[in-house]
Amino acid sequence: MIPFIELALNGIVSGLVIGLAALSITLVFGVARFPNAATGDVMSLGAFAALAGASASGTLLIGGVFGIAVAAFVSLACYFLVFQKLSSRPPVASLLASIGVAFVIRAVMGVVFGHQQKVFDLPLARPWRVLDIRFHPTDLKISLAALATLVAVFLILHATPIGRRMRAVADDPSLARVSGISPRRIMVALWLLSGAVAGIAGILVGIKTVVTPEMGWDLLLPAFAAAIFGGIGHPVGAVVAGVILGIVQEVATPFVGFTYKIALSFAVLLAVLLIRPKGLFGTVAGAR
Amino acid sequence: MEAYLVAIAIVAAIYVLLALGLNLQYGLTGIINFGHVGFFCVGAYTAALLAEKGWPPLLSFSAAAALAMLAAWPMGLISLKLREDYFAIVSLGFSEVVRLVVTSEKWLTSGVQGITGIPKLFGGLATGLPNSLAVLAVLVAVNLLAIAAMRRIVTSPFGRTIEAIRDNEEAVKALGKDPAAFKIQVLMLGAALAGVAGAFYAHYIGYISPDQFIPLVTFQIWMAIIMGGVGRISGALAGTFILMLFLEGSRFLRDIMPFISEVEMASVRLGVVGLALVLFTLYRPTGLMGDFTRK
Repeated sequence: MIPFIELALNGIVSGLVIGLAALSITLVFGVARFPNAATGDVMSLGAFAALAGASASGTLLIGGVFGIAVAAFVSLACYFLVFQKLSSRPPVASLLASIGVAFVIRAVMGVVFGHQQKVFDLPLARPWRVLDIRFHPTDLKISLAALATLVAVFLILHATPIGRRMRAVADDPSLARVSGISPRRIMVALWLLSGAVAGIAGILVGIKTVVTPEMGWDLLLPAFAAAIFGGIGHPVGAVVAGVILGIVQEVATPFVGFTYKIALSFAVLLAVLLIRPKGLFGTVAGAR
Repeated sequence: MEAYLVAIAIVAAIYVLLALGLNLQYGLTGIINFGHVGFFCVGAYTAALLAEKGWPPLLSFSAAAALAMLAAWPMGLISLKLREDYFAIVSLGFSEVVRLVVTSEKWLTSGVQGITGIPKLFGGLATGLPNSLAVLAVLVAVNLLAIAAMRRIVTSPFGRTIEAIRDNEEAVKALGKDPAAFKIQVLMLGAALAGVAGAFYAHYIGYISPDQFIPLVTFQIWMAIIMGGVGRISGALAGTFILMLFLEGSRFLRDIMPFISEVEMASVRLGVVGLALVLFTLYRPTGLMGDFTRK
């Protein structure tokens, strides 16, 4: 029993991180209406920038802030350079371009940072034992950081004027425009926010495992699966689905093996599309 | 020199098969298949494993096409009724899962080490250049056959329906046709072409391993058909030609500039493919010679 509780706890931690990535995808999807495949590589970029910032400044905190800022800025730059110009075309154009953007970001990271695995320089900590259940202090910090991010994002979405406008645009773009909401400012805020969330997700993955140029792309499939599972365009759904997916992945690892972890999120994705294509909280119109 | 040109021509012909399949799916029907390499991989492994067991090429190639189609069927059934970008995600996931399976199931595929010593086609009849020329001749014949079939499809009622699906799915539904059924057929046809391409690839290269079947391959084909012109057979040919120039050119660049490491060059290739996708979608969505609105 105890190994399973440990796995489930571990699953919650990685699920929160998947949830953050899915949140970033679902935010963009809700307003800009396409699945942004560059999210994964913005994550990796955030982690690399945080590493560079941390080694330059000596503290993880400043490094982390730098990483988040770089991810948010690059995300906004992608919008101005690419996605804004494609907003009047079918979503296919943006989706295809986002793959291209992802490749370009990853290529730059590969040349600049190399392909060696890098790790965050963290003090070693002894895991806690409560009732024989081991739990790592780092995992607690990662979970707290993820939760704090989620609270911040939901506060922005629900308690600030810009968040309210963002939700209005997601709900009905033409109605929002008629009501005098400027789409441009919403888009700037949206891409900054989704980039920052992706950056945080990347940094947290980097702290939990290792940093490589491919890490974000490898997480893209679980993140997409969680975004669809939660109901595409639905922020709460993305997080809930991310946590469920994380727990399922970890608890199933002893049965299916480590390499099939990613395949598991594919299986979940297919099951969702088969049984409930609108996801946990989505609307039917969103899926068809 | 001749040997080199023939070698490039063979690889190009394999890519043309892949591009024709994707062109049928995306160019004519509007299916966003991001998992083309998955079907290519299924075909390559099927042919390699059956060749090991001593199956004659005609049977093993048919099996490669059939298995690739079989892999496409449930995927299409589940996701082609839904939003088109859902299928893009599912197909991308599919190709990654195929790669995971061939990496993990060591008893069948010998994992990351890959399968070596796959016999050359017509290896018993000729060796060296004559052998390569024979392979090339067969490949060209298969390509011509595929092109002829494609032209038949375009002018048939089936072709008109799938193009109507691409242009306006709702209108097709209103006419009482089921777009999903047509899309599944098209997906399977394209997958079969990719499977055959995979079988040729396995036999020609003689060695296959999971890292030859990364998503980058899929998007190289996408780059080819977008550059050449979506929805046109001449576009698939022209695009593949550009792709081969680029791939071979980047190899020569390495010879001239040895200070660039192979890993860095891989990154550069990735970046160029990405940049091409972005720039062509932005500024030249109809490709160098194609026009989406006209046939």
